[in-house]
This record gives sequence, C-alpha cells and structure tokens, in this order.
Amino acid sequence: MIDLIRKLTEAYGPSGREEEVHNLILQELEGHVDGYKFDNVGNLLVWKAGTTGKKVLFDAHADEIGLVVTNIDERGFLRVESVGGVPPHSYVGHRVRFPNAIGVVYVEGETEEERKKNFTNLNLDNMFVDIGARNRDEAMKVVPIGSFGIYDSHFFKNGDLLISKSMDDRIGCAIIVEILRRVKKPRNTIIGSFTVQEEVGLIGASVAAYSLVPDVCVAVDVTDSSDYPKSFKRHSMALGKGPAIKIKDRASISNRGVVEKLIEVAEQEKIPYQMEVLTFGGTNAAALQRTRAGIPSATVSIATRYVHSPSEIVSLEDVENTVELLINYAGKGV
Amino acid sequence: MYLKELTELDGVSGNEQQVREFISDKIKDKVDELKVDVLGNLIAYRKGTKGGRKIVLAAHMDEVGFMVTNIEDDGTLAFAPVGGVETQVMVGKIVRINGQTLGAIGYKAIHIQDKEQILKPLSIDQLRVYIGAKSKEEAARQVKIGDYVAFTTTFDQENNRLTGKAFDDRAGCSVLMDIIDKIDRYEDDVYFAFLVQEEVGLRGSAVVVEQIHPDIAIVIEGTTAGDDPELPEYQWATHLGDGPAITFMHRGYVVNKRVYESIIEVAEKYSIAHQAKRRTAGGTDAARFARTGAGTAAAVVSVPSRYIHSPVSMIDLNDYNNTVLLLQKILEQGEAFAR
Amino acid sequence: MKLDVKELIKELSSLDGPSGYEKAVLELIEKKIEPLVDRVWYNKVGTLIAEKKGTGSGRLGIFAHADEVGYVVTKLEKGLFARLETIGGVDPKVIFAQRVKIYTAKGIAKGIVGVLPPHLQKEEHRSKVPSFDKIFVDLSCSELGEYVSVGDICVVDVKPVELNGKLCGKAMDNRAGCASLILAAQLLRNIRNYQDVYFVFSSQEEVTGLGAVSIAYELRLDRAIVVDVTHGDVKIPQFVQIKTGEGPALCVGPVIDKEFYSKLYQTAQRNNVKIQIEPAPGRSGTDTDEVQLSGTGVRTTLVSIPLMYMHTPVEVVDPRDVEETARLLALATTIE
Repeated sequence: MIDLIRKLTEAYGPSGREEEVHNLILQELEGHVDGYKFDNVGNLLVWKAGTTGKKVLFDAHADEIGLVVTNIDERGFLRVESVGGVPPHSYVGHRVRFPNAIGVVYVEGETEEERKKNFTNLNLDNMFVDIGARNRDEAMKVVPIGSFGIYDSHFFKNGDLLISKSMDDRIGCAIIVEILRRVKKPRNTIIGSFTVQEEVGLIGASVAAYSLVPDVCVAVDVTDSSDYPKSFKRHSMALGKGPAIKIKDRASISNRGVVEKLIEVAEQEKIPYQMEVLTFGGTNAAALQRTRAGIPSATVSIATRYVHSPSEIVSLEDVENTVELLINYAGKGV
Repeated sequence: MYLKELTELDGVSGNEQQVREFISDKIKDKVDELKVDVLGNLIAYRKGTKGGRKIVLAAHMDEVGFMVTNIEDDGTLAFAPVGGVETQVMVGKIVRINGQTLGAIGYKAIHIQDKEQILKPLSIDQLRVYIGAKSKEEAARQVKIGDYVAFTTTFDQENNRLTGKAFDDRAGCSVLMDIIDKIDRYEDDVYFAFLVQEEVGLRGSAVVVEQIHPDIAIVIEGTTAGDDPELPEYQWATHLGDGPAITFMHRGYVVNKRVYESIIEVAEKYSIAHQAKRRTAGGTDAARFARTGAGTAAAVVSVPSRYIHSPVSMIDLNDYNNTVLLLQKILEQGEAFAR
Repeated sequence: MKLDVKELIKELSSLDGPSGYEKAVLELIEKKIEPLVDRVWYNKVGTLIAEKKGTGSGRLGIFAHADEVGYVVTKLEKGLFARLETIGGVDPKVIFAQRVKIYTAKGIAKGIVGVLPPHLQKEEHRSKVPSFDKIFVDLSCSELGEYVSVGDICVVDVKPVELNGKLCGKAMDNRAGCASLILAAQLLRNIRNYQDVYFVFSSQEEVTGLGAVSIAYELRLDRAIVVDVTHGDVKIPQFVQIKTGEGPALCVGPVIDKEFYSKLYQTAQRNNVKIQIEPAPGRSGTDTDEVQLSGTGVRTTLVSIPLMYMHTPVEVVDPRDVEETARLLALATTIE
C-alpha cells in the first residue's frame, strides 16, 4: 500500500483539475471493479457488485488545496488566490508546482517595518510567485492566468509514519482503492466515489450519490491529530489509536445508527478505533447525506498531523486498520 | 438591447414580478414554451434541431435593495439590506417603496455633526427612510413592514458607456433577450432561465435543475470590475472595454474545464475581444447548477460592470455587444461546443 | 383525552434530544399524535412524519424541528474532568455553574460545569469571557463519572417551571413548536383539511437542517408551513419588536411564498387569530430556507412563536401563543 500512497499523494490534483488523480486511480483499479463512470461534474464513480441488493458508498475527495494564478505583472511575477483553505504561511519561501513550471513564493515589503507587518499578517494579497520569467509575455506562455498550482512536496516514510502533501484526502482514496483490491466477492455492492472540488465547497459530493442512490455513505477523510506540542486542547485524536469514528464536526453529525454499527464491527473484529469530535471543518458526509430523500451517512477519519501543510503525517498502522474496519463494515454492517 | 427598460424597473430579491412581467411580455411569442415556476423563475424553451443535449442560459432578474423592517414613532422607516449593500452607498439617495412611495435616506447636516461623528464610519442603524410622514400612523397608511425598497436611478447612455442601476444582472437578462431576438434555432435544446433571488443566496437557480436536468449551464452575469485609481492594476477583477469576462473560478466553485476552454476557443475563433475574470471573489448561480441534482457542467460569462451593488453602475457598450456576439457564436457551434 | 398545552410543553421540554439524538423526543411525540392521524412513520435520517389525508388535492407539510441545542464530550482530562463541544449555536456564558447530564453507555452521569470561585479569580479571569476551550465539566460528583467517553451527549440538567402563567425551561426552541403541531392535529378532529397534511417533526435543524430537507424532497410538497420560534420581547436595532402573548409572528420576505402567505394572512384575519408580522430580508435561519428550495420548489410560509432567552436553559414561551399557533395551523389546512 505504501507505493500506492506515495503515487497518490505526489500526484497533481488541485480542486477542479483532478484528472491525473482519477487516471491514476483507474489504473490501480484495473481488473478490480465491475464498471466506472464520470458524472456531470467530473466525479469518478466505480463499483463492485454484491449479491444482497444493498449498496454502500465509500467516498474520498480527489482534490487538494492549491493556488490559482489571477494576474501577472509586467515583470513576469504571478499573483495568486487560494483554492480551498490554504494557510499562506505554508508557502513562504517554499515552492509551488504548476503543470509547466515551478515557482517560489515570497512576501512584499518595501521597508523593514512593512516587511514585519506583512509577515505577521500573511495574506496572498501581499505575496507573489517568482517563476524566473523576465516579463509578462514570457510568464504567460508557461503559466497563463487561470493556471492551478500545488505544494511542491514529496512523500517519505519514517518507520510507521508516512509524510507527504495531500494526505487530505489521497489517503482516503488509497484506502478505498485498497478495499476494492482486497474484497474479491462483496456481499453488499461497494461503490467507490472519488469526488471533485471538496476543498472549495463540497461540490462533487453534493451530486455523487444522486444516480446510484446507496443505502449508506461513509466518507473517508483526514481529521486533526492532536498529539504534538500544544495541539488543539479539546481534541482527543492521536496517531496510532486506530481509525477515528467521527461523532461530529462543524458541517455534520454522523448518523447514529451507522456510528453504532461501525463500533460494533470494530469490537467484533478486535480492530482498534478511537472516537472523534472535531471542533472545526467538515467532510463530504455533510453533502452526501442530503442527496434526494436523505442517506444515512458518517465519516471514518485518519488522524493526521499538520493538515493543509506540505507535510501531513499519518500512521500506516491506522491506515491498515481503517481498511480492515471498512472491509468488515461493507460485509456485515450495512 | 433592453437595458433602459430593464434597469428602470424595480425588482429587489423576492419581489421580481415587474421585471418578470416585462420580459415575459416581450419574449412569449418568440419561444416554444414559457412558464413561471414555484419560486417565480421565468423559464423559456426552444426545441433544438438535433435535440441531443439540454443547455441552459441563465441570468438573474433580482437586484440588491432593502426591506422596511420597522415604522418608527416619528414616521421614519427603519430598513435592512436585501442582498449585499454597503452602508456607504446608501446615504443621500432617493428610494421607492413598494413600487409607489418615494422616500429619502437622509443624514445629519455636516454643520451640526461634531468632529468625531464626521470621521466615524456609518452604521446602518443610524439611517432611516423619510417619506414625509410625521407619525407612525401617517406612515402606516402608505407603507408596511416587509415592503421592498429599491433605488430610483434612471438609465443613461453616452460615450459608449451605459450607466444606471442593477446591471448586475439586468445586463445578463438583456443579453438573453437579444439572443432570443437574433437567432431562432440551434442544434441543442436551449432553455433561457430568468432567475429570482440570486442576491440572497443563489436561490432561484436551486429549483431549476430538477425541472430541466440540463447538461450544460452558462450563467450570464454583470460582474465586478475594480478598475479605478484606488486599486493597483494587478488587483483588478476585470477592465471595461476588454470584452466579456470569462470566469475560471469563483467562490465555492472551479468552472468546468471543458466548458471554460470551449468558450475561449469560440472567442478566439471569431476574434471576439474577451478577458479572464482575474479575481476569484464573488459567487454565481453556476455553483448552484453544479451542485444540485445530478450536477451540471456550468460556466460563467459576464459583462464587466463598475460599482455593482450601488445605485449607479456602469458598463461598456462594446463589452455588452461582444457578450451577445460570443453567446450567439457559442450556440451556433451546435453539438460541437464543449464536446 | 384532551391535551393540556402547559403539561404537553413541560413534558416535551423535560426530554433530552440534541441534534442527531432526537429518539426519546420523537417517541413521545409519536405516542401523542398517532391516535390523531391516519399513519406515522420515520424516514431514513431520523424524521417523524404523521399523515392525515384531506378531502381535496395537494400536499401541505407542517414542520417543527424536534431537536434542541446541546453538547458532546470531546476529551477526558485527568481527575475526572471533560471538555465539551456545542451541538448548535450556544453562548459559552450560559453554561457556567450549571448542572449537566451526560449520557454514557452505562447510564446518565452527573456533572457540574466548573467556575473558579471569586476568591481565586485573577483579574484576567473576571474580565475575559470564557470560550469552550476554557470550560470543563467536573464528573467527580457522579458514580458513573468514570464511564464518560468521547462522543457522549450532554445536556443542561434543568426542569421546566411556570412563571406567572408562562413556561420557562430548556428546549422551548422548538418543543413549543412541536406542541403546537400536536394540538393542531387534535383540532383537526373537528376541522376537515383540504390538502393532505403531513406533520413533520424534523431532526437536526440546529446543525444541518437534514431532517426537513430530506422529507420535503421525498414528499414533493406543494406547500409548507414551518413552525419555529423567534426572539420575543427584546429590542433588535432596525427591527420591529415581536412580543410574547400577542400571538405567533408571520414572516415576510424572499423565503416566503407571497400567494400562500396572503391566504394564510386572510385566514388569520377572518378567524380573529392574533398574529404579528416579522420581516426577514434574506434567509430566515429556519428550515423554511432549505424546504423552499427542495426539488422543484415548495411554497413556504414561516410561523414563529415568540420566545425569550433563546438557546439558554431558561427559555420562556407564553402557552397562549402556542394555542393560537395551533389554531392558525388547523385553520390553514382548510385553504384550497
């Protein structure tokens, strides 16, 4: 699974430009699914038919946060705006990868005082990207207005810990791919939903379940891991405690019945798990549950340190336990 | 071009009937079907010659304005904004309540303000509409709580610039009406949707998808410019005179890549002036089309407009005409568009 | 078996049902309303529906959300303390020095939301308003304190009381609304409803509105009346003041269907139902907003019961307003 995670997290896929990620997923799923389709907004839906008539949908969003080029000045420096919740400080002095170029991000400041002020109040409005172009025309040829960029960051493994950009939510994608690879003959139909544009507004998840109408939706996404110095004091999630069964976040409350079933399955199969309450943020479950006449939905999360930074950290053991939990849930929890 | 009539009508979000009736009257004999849905959207339909796909062209009829929220004892009216209106554009304006009663949003004379008050920013609870009534009872005979309040700006055209209120989005409505006049038949089935309540949360568009199930939606907006001396050029959203603005991303939505690139292709093929919208702020009904029902491949083409959400906005006549031309050419591509 | 409005409201307020965990409340409502309607059922996301067939055609939904604001345990601290997160919008100031109940797997644990006594308060404690990051629950006063876990649901431990004829307690938002629906169903024994009426006791209004919007989509309603609460007896700058004891407030604004509102207003006038008018220049902040947009659109109106001290443990309603609301709802079902 490590190779799969590496390929997925290193892939280029900012919100609205998820093609490379989707193609990679299809390659990895070749021979493991009964069919696939792309819907009207570009979500990739795959399925593996079961025998009971019941359908469980596992969702992970394919997009990552990034930057979009909105202006280019006469000297060839790019102006950017955020795609999803980008913390500006994560980019200062670091690199952004566009399809045809790599740029360095830095901060304006004509005086020491202005520089200090800008660094304290970081904002993409007082930042710019340097791709080494000498003028606007040169820059336009390589990175036209409307180009999307992502963290230029790589995967590495440190014992049980896996570190890379966009564990949010390629780790979810990897988990669902692994489930579909391991389950040879599903009892209940398993639908894999690799949705678009979660980071800008849950766009993909708002329509992903509309045509296949599953009985249950489980979003697989990251959650905060609050086990580093002075991390969020009200959170109890940590690396190594197993898949996190989400009770609520700021966008939704997991369906009580689904939560109880997940706990039951985990206890039966002796899979470690932790309970999660997240005091900010949301997942695709919030949108999936509102499809048509309502679908019972929940989120199972991977505890992750430093979410939305270029170096998100997860525990491989947690990832493998999550695959186990969801395979068993798909088999007997629905 | 119907801009003079359209911009001089009152149609604050939730109260669009004047605008709807005008448009309906003008287009009813030119389309195959015309209906008003539960929310008040006006939807016109023209069957395609090949009828393969369903395309929706959409513009919203509503404008920002106010609502009467209280009648004070002294006969003045307290009000709240409907849609996003900055307090600073409200002062010293004549408004029209419920389509009939005129009122003035006044302010204390500078002579009698103390130094502190002159420099303090306005807050809306200091403002009232004065209709000439001296008591609550007198005012209550002419207006009531819940009445809609609109600006009263009249339309003007000079020097290739058009000025008036509500170009966001009567410009879009007028563009659709011009297209209905200019071309008759297309390959795809085309719906012209004149929407309500965009300014209060993209509401009208929310019920269109389940009625039509479109494949493609193109929203025609009056979008912000920002090209004035107070903003450096690299922070402008659009520039008047550079042509219709094509959006690649706005709040909550990245425009469908295939449709976006096809629009640019058509503009370049026919050498129609166009520009990218260069800020991602602001949202449109495209986001709603994308996220509702089975989803839609939605895009946005806009007429750049200075000073939107204020009583006087401005557009460029060439930009307007090029927007009509661009959409015309898009429809003429037929099934080849955004394949 | 005539229902008494005060007893009904007190009974409903005494039950605990924060968003997503409304089961106990819905079970009681189901018991009360089942004898009054043709059938009852639950949808897949926890909403209770009671149907009464009409004499004519069309479908009218009457909505009241059954959930209340509450809390959930997010973390356990050493020494039998717990941290909380809100379910819905709650001001941290109102939970200080309150007794709370926590639903553990082994039963209800008692807790106290702690405050530093004045003697030990430094200046910084007095002047800063605490946030939920600073609040903690002391579980050491309960035998079940050690069984409290992350994810357990918590509510303030308070029983409703009567204040000069008014009712004061938690969750009047929106048990008062639920009560008005049950009373309306009772009145329908003597009034023939024209459209098929669906009394909807929806889940999760305080957080996502999932309960209402899901059933609105399924039933393909023509019209809807949402019953909720609004701020009573308090001055909000710019806005007309809604008063307790003067009947329900009818909302006007973009989220209200003009045609249906007009018929509702005339029905109230003709039958001398006490009503007030409340402007909403945009979203109303109730289930009305999303119900209006479900499917191909629903003609919505909003009727609000005036309520004081919203989202605190001492919410106040006037039972006469609840009765007047019930009367209005029953009469509204005769609109063709």
